[in-house]
Amino acid sequence: MKLKVAGAALAVLAVAATGCGSDSGSDQGSGKTTITFWDNNGGTRTPIYQELIKRFEAANPSIHVEYVGIPISSVQQKYDTAIAGGDTPDVGGVTTSYLANLTGQQALEPADEWLAKSSVNGKLATSMLDSVRKTVPDGKLYLVPNTSNMDVVWYLKDKLQKAPDTWDEFFGSADELTKKPDEYGYTIRGGAGSIFQILAEMYSYSGISEFFDASGKSTVNDPKNVEFLTKMAGLYKKNTPEADVTNDFPKMVAQFGTGKIAMMHHNLGSYNDHVKAHGKDKIGAFALPTGPGGKRTIVANPVDGFAVFKNSEHKEAAWKFVEFLVSHDSNSYWNEQTGQIPANTDAQGDSWLQGLEHLKTAVETLNDPNTQVVSPPYYLPQFSSITKADTEPLFQKVLLGQMTPQEFLDTLAQKLTDAEAEWKKATGG
Amino acid sequence: MTTMRRRAVPYLLISPTVALIAAFLVYPIGSVAYYSLQHRNLTRPWADGFAGLDNFRRMLFEDELFWHSLGFTAKWVIVEVGLQLILGLALALIVNETFIGRGLARSLVFSPWAVSGVLTTGIWILLYTPSTGVLRFLGQPEAAVLGNPDTVFPAVVVAELWRGVPFFAILLLAGLQGIPGELYEAAAVDGAGRVKRFIHVTLPHLRDAIVLATLLRGVWEFNNVDLLYTLTGGGPAQETMTLPLYVAQRAVDSKDFGYGSALTMAGFVILLFCSILYLRLSRFGGDR
Repeated sequence: MKLKVAGAALAVLAVAATGCGSDSGSDQGSGKTTITFWDNNGGTRTPIYQELIKRFEAANPSIHVEYVGIPISSVQQKYDTAIAGGDTPDVGGVTTSYLANLTGQQALEPADEWLAKSSVNGKLATSMLDSVRKTVPDGKLYLVPNTSNMDVVWYLKDKLQKAPDTWDEFFGSADELTKKPDEYGYTIRGGAGSIFQILAEMYSYSGISEFFDASGKSTVNDPKNVEFLTKMAGLYKKNTPEADVTNDFPKMVAQFGTGKIAMMHHNLGSYNDHVKAHGKDKIGAFALPTGPGGKRTIVANPVDGFAVFKNSEHKEAAWKFVEFLVSHDSNSYWNEQTGQIPANTDAQGDSWLQGLEHLKTAVETLNDPNTQVVSPPYYLPQFSSITKADTEPLFQKVLLGQMTPQEFLDTLAQKLTDAEAEWKKATGG
Repeated sequence: MTTMRRRAVPYLLISPTVALIAAFLVYPIGSVAYYSLQHRNLTRPWADGFAGLDNFRRMLFEDELFWHSLGFTAKWVIVEVGLQLILGLALALIVNETFIGRGLARSLVFSPWAVSGVLTTGIWILLYTPSTGVLRFLGQPEAAVLGNPDTVFPAVVVAELWRGVPFFAILLLAGLQGIPGELYEAAAVDGAGRVKRFIHVTLPHLRDAIVLATLLRGVWEFNNVDLLYTLTGGGPAQETMTLPLYVAQRAVDSKDFGYGSALTMAGFVILLFCSILYLRLSRFGGDR
């Protein structure tokens, strides 16, 4: 009897010991390495990663990838908490908009040496690699690009016959397509994410090529930008729904989905939402209209990719996974599913991309030597909080008529100028 | 030896409580107090360090939004608690009467309290969104109540009332049932009408319940984050920004933990002061 009890106790202990083994790390029994991957936009993208992980694990039977989908709205906060608690994933989805924040906390491992020896070396779009390197002070590659995006205006083809080339034509169409009581020419993003969109619109209108002038002063409150914002804010409630003032991405897409709005500014990423709501044939897209003299200016979208975290105990396996994700087949699959621009140049030439009009236009626009690209200061660790928490409510005040466009842009410019000066001082630049 | 042991026993017995309080109250409050005296901002790591009273100076003398959010918080707490008390008392009086279907009425009255906060806001967002909401049926298909500075306050007040009134109704009903029936009979014999019985019998007996419910609710409404955060996020244009929402914006969104801690300390001191004052003034639990 005693023996039996002892045996049972031993068995329990053994189970507990193996069960409590580290959840991330080598599983001694099977010899498998487990790495954790955080998707920075978990949700609709989850099945894409599940498929890619399945393929990766089939090709690398000794590595197991644990997928964690983080909602895009809380991803920065999750990373900050994880860094503070020393519990970061092995690989994480990261975009240049908060890359500086993560490298500022010394959380990431540079990928330059790995990439130099890798089969994907030379296959990743130079513009995206440059964009990543420009984001951090030491110019290293802390993020391996997977995809990029471009701002476009989506429109319903049965309402708008010809895509406008200039902003004047755009404002004209927005007015013409507004029909009382509830049909509108345009919808403004007034809630979360508003500032980036208004920046993209202003610079494409003014054609200004730099965010800061030679003396380090922000160009955001340039008279041409003020002129644009005054026109755009004038559309609110005249050619747009009243609810626009609190429009974040889901609300804006839902409104456009009702079919009562003719045009909506977002980026390539929402293509699938529009197709679901309206069908492929009804949806069209054009790049933001041209500025003075027909010149096209584009504000560079954040580059989205993968980073290996410094705390990872399995950096080699983590890199292997990153390398797999940006290889031709995986990168092509990922971007085909999301409708965005692949970072892998081989994938850019794939037939599915050539068949999608809006994506083909985007790649051509981006690669056109006449297109002028303005890079927002993603390298400023404060950029994200300035363009979100600090100024999004102020933009709502502009729409509601509680603040003038001039006051708003002066405030935004001052914050950016101060942050730039402080950053230069802190980094000895 | 035995006397020493005997002396140690009470301390030993309360030690688990002391340890728990230290771990879950003293430490967190102390850590917030500590950070409120520090510059700690994840986006400006180079400027971190001891701040002295700098955060408090900025809060009191430079930050208009602090005063704006504090003003809105006061308005929010007074309007919410006041209306919840009146409506909750009315509901409690109704379901305290005897009538057919009282059990069902009682469950219906209390049901909103059982719905989780985020679900409540989910329901109200649907009700207020132009394309799905109720205003379509009132001939206002495009009215965005949550986007209009004139209508957003009444809109959020109604949503919170829906959830808050049952709390008062439950507590006050319990109080009502504790009032001996003889008192009413005696008052009736003395010639007191319904109103007089309410004022001289019901209200005095409900005093402790009312004080407790308003105090608890006042603190909760002051700290209300879930409903306002999901319904309006403090917007539009900071119109519905309470102090806790402002803390969340500073500390969580802007990653300025030093300043966020200073704001939290301000909220803590205000609540502490108001609670003590309120309990003193109402002589809670004292003999009448």
